[in-house]
Amino acid sequence: MKMFILVSMLILGLTGCASQPETSSSLIDREELKVDPEVIYTMDVKELFEKRLEQPGGERLLQVQFAVEARSDTELAWKVTWFDESGMVVRGVGEGYKKATLLTGQTRYFSSTAPNARVTSYQLHLREPK
Amino acid sequence: MLIRAFAVLISLVVLAGCSTPTRYIDPAADDGPVAMTMDYRDFEKAATDAVEDMLASGAVNNPDGGRYIMVVSRITNDTMQRIDTDQLTKKIRVALLRSGKVVTTTAVGLNGPEDAMTEKARELRDSDEFDQSGVQRKGTLQAPDLSLSGKIIQRNHKVEKEQQVEYYIQLSLTELSSGLAIWEGETPIIKRGSDKSVSW
Repeated sequence: MKMFILVSMLILGLTGCASQPETSSSLIDREELKVDPEVIYTMDVKELFEKRLEQPGGERLLQVQFAVEARSDTELAWKVTWFDESGMVVRGVGEGYKKATLLTGQTRYFSSTAPNARVTSYQLHLREPK
Repeated sequence: MLIRAFAVLISLVVLAGCSTPTRYIDPAADDGPVAMTMDYRDFEKAATDAVEDMLASGAVNNPDGGRYIMVVSRITNDTMQRIDTDQLTKKIRVALLRSGKVVTTTAVGLNGPEDAMTEKARELRDSDEFDQSGVQRKGTLQAPDLSLSGKIIQRNHKVEKEQQVEYYIQLSLTELSSGLAIWEGETPIIKRGSDKSVSW
């Protein structure tokens, strides 16, 4: 009987050790749209859409599109960072910002497609290039 | 003699102080000056545009499921610069591999295989020195479904007192079974700068 209890406790102890470490975190609420203050003075973000493109295997590829309207001639740098279900970054082709020039009153539309169907969320960052 | 040595020493110290220190550039946060020649940012832009458009268009979605096999064909450098076109194609290959939709073969190429070891490893067949259970069998290589080809074009213009350099990065993805280009893209990169700048 003692032996049985000892073995049971040992198994329970080992099961406890084998549990998966906590991988999710809710420390930070990640904003989908992050606009630097310098950009707000010169342009407005008018639209932000997301779409899921159907893939043959039943997966869906995330695509985002945003529109900005310039109040004066200005330059913009933007980048989309992609995240999987666990909140980990999914790497695309490059890490650099894309640059665009806007004329006064002009509305421009930009879009970006996720690098992999694992992507479930994103963060769009708009900033003013130096 | 001592005065001359002292003057040379002072000059060297002053020159060393004036020189720009060498530093690392982080590609994720590089707002540095733009060169008239093609730099890594231009290749990154062209590769990003190409891959995102390929994925969004569905051209690299294999209807039978699984991954397409791509081979890199000729990318012609029609610029005044010495460009290794792998700077462009490698980014595209890596991104397509990460997408899970396309894998590139290194066993076939216009000028022979990119990795000659695929063939070399097969020369071990019937060698008494090697355990034959680990030697690659016949008929295991995968033939490509798609071919990536393209051209980089450069045009120079004089605009008033400035110079305008236009680069066009043109790419085609050909379905080898039909010979049809199932995806095509062009990324123009236009730069305007001092007429004294050199773009070659």
